[in-house]
Amino acid sequence: MRNLILFIRRYFNLLLFIAIEAICLSKVLSQNPFQQAWFLQFSEEWMGKLYQHYADVMQYFQLRQVNDSLLAENTRLRNQLAQDYSFPDTSRRLIRDTAHHRQYLYYPAEVVNNSIVHASNYITIHRGKLEGVHANMGVVSAQGVAGVVVRASDHYALVMSLLHKDFRLSVRLKRTGDIGYVRWDGENPATALLSDIPRSVTLYRNDTVVTSGFSVMFPPGIVVGYVEKVGHQPASNFQIARIRLATAFSRLRYVYVIENLQAPEQLQLESHIPSP
Amino acid sequence: MSELLKNIIRFVLLMFVQVFILNNIMLNGLVQPYLYMLFILLLPFQTPRWLLLIIGTATGWVLDNFMHTPGLHAAACAAVAYLRPFLIGMLSPQGGFEDTSRSPSPATMGTTKFIFYAGMLVLIHHVIYFTLEVFDFQAPRYLAMKILFSTLITLLLIFVYGLLFFEKRLKRRSFS
Repeated sequence: MRNLILFIRRYFNLLLFIAIEAICLSKVLSQNPFQQAWFLQFSEEWMGKLYQHYADVMQYFQLRQVNDSLLAENTRLRNQLAQDYSFPDTSRRLIRDTAHHRQYLYYPAEVVNNSIVHASNYITIHRGKLEGVHANMGVVSAQGVAGVVVRASDHYALVMSLLHKDFRLSVRLKRTGDIGYVRWDGENPATALLSDIPRSVTLYRNDTVVTSGFSVMFPPGIVVGYVEKVGHQPASNFQIARIRLATAFSRLRYVYVIENLQAPEQLQLESHIPSP
Repeated sequence: MSELLKNIIRFVLLMFVQVFILNNIMLNGLVQPYLYMLFILLLPFQTPRWLLLIIGTATGWVLDNFMHTPGLHAAACAAVAYLRPFLIGMLSPQGGFEDTSRSPSPATMGTTKFIFYAGMLVLIHHVIYFTLEVFDFQAPRYLAMKILFSTLITLLLIFVYGLLFFEKRLKRRSFS
């Protein structure tokens, strides 16, 4: 306290000067129209910039909540897609509500572990048996196919990534409808091989490859990748092509697990194929 | 005539000249002399610094009221009043000016020192005043020209004032 008083006494003139100047400048800026307009514009500009930076920083702290809410919304929207519903038989009787028989159901899940560098890659997701995940469910990312669930624990599930040497996916060429299959050759996590397309079909660069819907895991029409380069197999009726995968496996954060509600029925029916 | 009365008369005279004569002079838009601040320059040496600040600010405030420019002259005059003792301390010989009861003038300070003293303070006043008045930093050349020419004209007016009032004092002082 004593030091404060000493300080004030020592610098009394300077403090008085600063106080007077502050009063004068506040009068200049508040009571002269021109200076006032300038000051308001100046302060608005800089305050705006400051608030912008502040908001930019604060956004980072809410990214998680934003992601979660977006994920929830995406799940809700995906569950309303027409391809989730099996079309009812309208030839026998009139059905007004065609979106009646739900076939596919999407669950959101967070990726907690993922690898892309091995020959057999697996993804671990944070959603397990208790939340409705079981083996042989398809897993898609926001961009395209990601893998298939192979094992589920109570809260986690292990997903065989599309980047796995044993992964085979039945696909269809979106433009022509020809079917083939996709496998990963272990070369590059961004590309895979498309096989079994007949030679009669001309493949173009950037042709879209989608799921066929033959397997019970994926609904038809989910993007797998785009044709990158067409190779030649002289001694075969089929051609092989390299496709650019739609899913960015190196930055996979959130995925959707697909439940096919009619899978048991289809599998049961197919299990009784009479062997020749 | 007491020093106080002399200063009051000087204040009234300079204000009168400033408000009714000099404020109506507008040469080329560049010259706006402000002679009234000579009052602050000529306050006695011994004036305490806090009193100097208050008198200076009040002087600027009075002119602000005449000119409807709240705060502009007060800000400039406060700076002049604050910086005045520093300049006098810089210019004073060893042991200070011999006759501290008097005011700064060519007679008490020496002509060269007084010109420097007046020139510096007038320049400071004009820099602050015109910067605040123009308040537009897109045209620094215009601002600099305005400050320079106005300073020169104000100094010229101070010289005229000196011819009218300082000279007699000097004679009286040399006679006594």
